[in-house]
Amino acid sequence: MSATRGSKVSERVAPKAADPQPARKKHDDDDGPGFSMLFRAWVEAHRASLLDSLKRLGKQPIGSFFTCLVMAVALSLPMGLSLLLNNVERLGGSWQRAAQISLYLQLDADSSQGEQLSNQIKGMAGVADAEFISREKALEEFQQQSGLGEALKELPDNPLPGVVLVTPNEVDKATLEALRERLSELPKVQQAQLDLVWVERLAAILKLGDRFVFGLTVLLVSALLLVIGNTIRLHIENRRIEIEVIKLVGGTDSYVRRPFLYMGALYGFGAGVLSWGVLAFGLNWLNDAVVGLAGLYGSNFALAGVPVADGLSLLLGAVLLGYIGAWIAVARHLRELSPK
Amino acid sequence: MIRFEQVGKRYPNGHVGLHELSFRVRRGEFLFVTGHSGAGKSTLLRLLLAMERPTTGKLLLAGQDLGQISNAQIPFLRRQIGVVFQNHQLLFDRTVFNNVALPLQILGLSKPEIAKRVDSALERVALSDKTDLYPGDLSTGQQQRVGIARAIVHRPALLLADEPTGNLDPRLAAEIMGVFEDINRLGTSVLIASHDLALIARMRHRMLTLQRGRLIGDGEAAQ
Repeated sequence: MSATRGSKVSERVAPKAADPQPARKKHDDDDGPGFSMLFRAWVEAHRASLLDSLKRLGKQPIGSFFTCLVMAVALSLPMGLSLLLNNVERLGGSWQRAAQISLYLQLDADSSQGEQLSNQIKGMAGVADAEFISREKALEEFQQQSGLGEALKELPDNPLPGVVLVTPNEVDKATLEALRERLSELPKVQQAQLDLVWVERLAAILKLGDRFVFGLTVLLVSALLLVIGNTIRLHIENRRIEIEVIKLVGGTDSYVRRPFLYMGALYGFGAGVLSWGVLAFGLNWLNDAVVGLAGLYGSNFALAGVPVADGLSLLLGAVLLGYIGAWIAVARHLRELSPK
Repeated sequence: MIRFEQVGKRYPNGHVGLHELSFRVRRGEFLFVTGHSGAGKSTLLRLLLAMERPTTGKLLLAGQDLGQISNAQIPFLRRQIGVVFQNHQLLFDRTVFNNVALPLQILGLSKPEIAKRVDSALERVALSDKTDLYPGDLSTGQQQRVGIARAIVHRPALLLADEPTGNLDPRLAAEIMGVFEDINRLGTSVLIASHDLALIARMRHRMLTLQRGRLIGDGEAAQ
């Protein structure tokens, strides 16, 4: 005891040790914290966790970058395919606008009746344009295109009917079918023909593409969760002692979890930014070739870049995936991190 | 403050850590728990920190039954306790200041309040001039004092120490014990597990003696 009293430390703390007030009295200044103080503390705790996570990522810039890059590749594949499919749909849409309904008129309908019908149809809802082709013009074109010019001249009468070509302004299959029904009921119309086979084929291909993209997305999102989960697991392993100490001095699970969640979200953010950049660059790079090819077909089609809304969705999705992956990893390992 | 009522601890492998232990510790009391290796000192501390639960009996700490406490309540229980380890358990990538500030950061105190309390705790262990150093820059004794500062900075009602002088020479050990006595004078209950009987004898405080998980002595240490 005397040795203790004589120690340097005890001498230095003697004034405090001599304080006659019991410790509980000293705590009288610990009145219950108000809401604003608790809120400030909460904000401060989050700010500190975010900064700590940023610092830790910054300490391993190459490792962090490659983790983000792996995640970015996993994000870019389904997103890139989805953007390409959207472009194909857009291209398909422009073809569909050229889809026409052919109205074959009765043989006794003369040219003036055909013109009158054509004008009437132009005023109908859902019709972009209508063009009348008389029986004579139809025969002339057929003679030129079929190579049967001389043989057709031997026919006693022109067998071809007059035709009104109707261009719809809606390309939806059901709408087109309804328009065809209405047109077929017009006077002097013998038959209304709509060829939807190619539209259906394109739609089927796009549907298959959508499913492929969905399957790929599910697979790659799973891979992404595994990547982020494994990365966070390594961070947890590296901070095992710190976590044990934090838990021993009263840190809750949410306090332990918080910096890892920020880390996951930051990895996601980095991956989202990289992925957006990769897609923008990739589509721009492809676009030159696409424009050249489209030009050969007389089209001015060009790939659209990454729309801002899609880019922001990608970014938000990446952050969420990082957050969720980190949450799963921490939830799995938190139980193992009880102080020893 | 602490009440052990027939507390027993049996591990899944059949090993019995504590046998029907019964004793009480008053608020503001200073006591040692001693005994050879395997006597049950560490088990006792682990039960008090809710790192383990008793298998029989009732263990009350500040009125809370540690056998019934939920996992969600454990962090809040530990905030009433300061703990000092033989191996310090310091974080070597944080400065002395940040090591000591950790319990206050967990409590969510403001930065000025943290700074004030950390300075006060470091002054109490005579390390005011080491705030910006890292634990690796300090001697073993200084590291132990940082551990003590971290244990008292949040003004716990109970301070637990597991062989806090185990790695220290006699002079440093006496210094550290002096710090514990100073803290105790401020009203904090102090419970130290130690097998350094010579040191304990010099300090003349209550001493519980354990042997193979049983309490075989409870009284003031004789010189």
